Amino acid sequence: MFEIGLNEHGEVVLSGRLDAAQAPSAQAFLDGVEDGCVVDMAALEYISSAGLGVLLRTHKRLAGAGGGLELCNVNAHISDIFSYSGFDRLFVIRNR
Amino acid sequence: MKNRYPRSFSAIDAIVADTASFFTAQAIDPALRLKVDLAIEELFVNLVTYNTEASEPVTIELRAIDHGIEVTMTDRGVDRFDPTRAGAVDIESVLAERAPGGLGLYLVSKMVDSIHYEYRDRTSKITFSNRSGSGEEGENVRNRTQ
Repeated sequence: MFEIGLNEHGEVVLSGRLDAAQAPSAQAFLDGVEDGCVVDMAALEYISSAGLGVLLRTHKRLAGAGGGLELCNVNAHISDIFSYSGFDRLFVIRNR
Repeated sequence: MKNRYPRSFSAIDAIVADTASFFTAQAIDPALRLKVDLAIEELFVNLVTYNTEASEPVTIELRAIDHGIEVTMTDRGVDRFDPTRAGAVDIESVLAERAPGGLGLYLVSKMVDSIHYEYRDRTSKITFSNRSGSGEEGENVRNRTQ
């Protein structure tokens, strides 16, 4: 199960599994984000390359307008995926 | 356990559920789950996306092995495509030069301990395995054959 929404701070919150079946809904939601924003991934269990593509596509669009995505609370498995894919050098990633 | 899945991303939920059930039933190390899930999804998505002329379901067989799991994915009526020989991915590029896509099979190589590809009679068969305590992710592929 995958869910995406905004919390009370205006941060994007991801939870569950962001796989190829869920990537289109995640992309549709993030296409509506117009400024740079924080993405809270504390409840995101799993991400595949399809999900990475959603994050990268959105980050590039926002960065082109002077913003971008800041990722926070990434679990160990997803942190490894970011490392293998080089995403740890493309995104600001914070744990809080 | 052997099941057949329709050639649709919507089958991923069923694949994940079946894999979870198998891990529980066979008492396979839960620490392997996400790596196995990722390898299966990336390979399944690759088969479905690129073998567009195929119509048969994709067969996925899970077997418990010593300290781990072996997965075989079979796709019939397809051209040869060896996922163990996918092109290199440049993960060093800056943001402006990075484009979405191309990471799936690269990530598979980081997730599995061994992977083997066979092609015969227009059938692709991919077998990979994961074992507990086999090392950190990213240094796992030790045995690639075709």
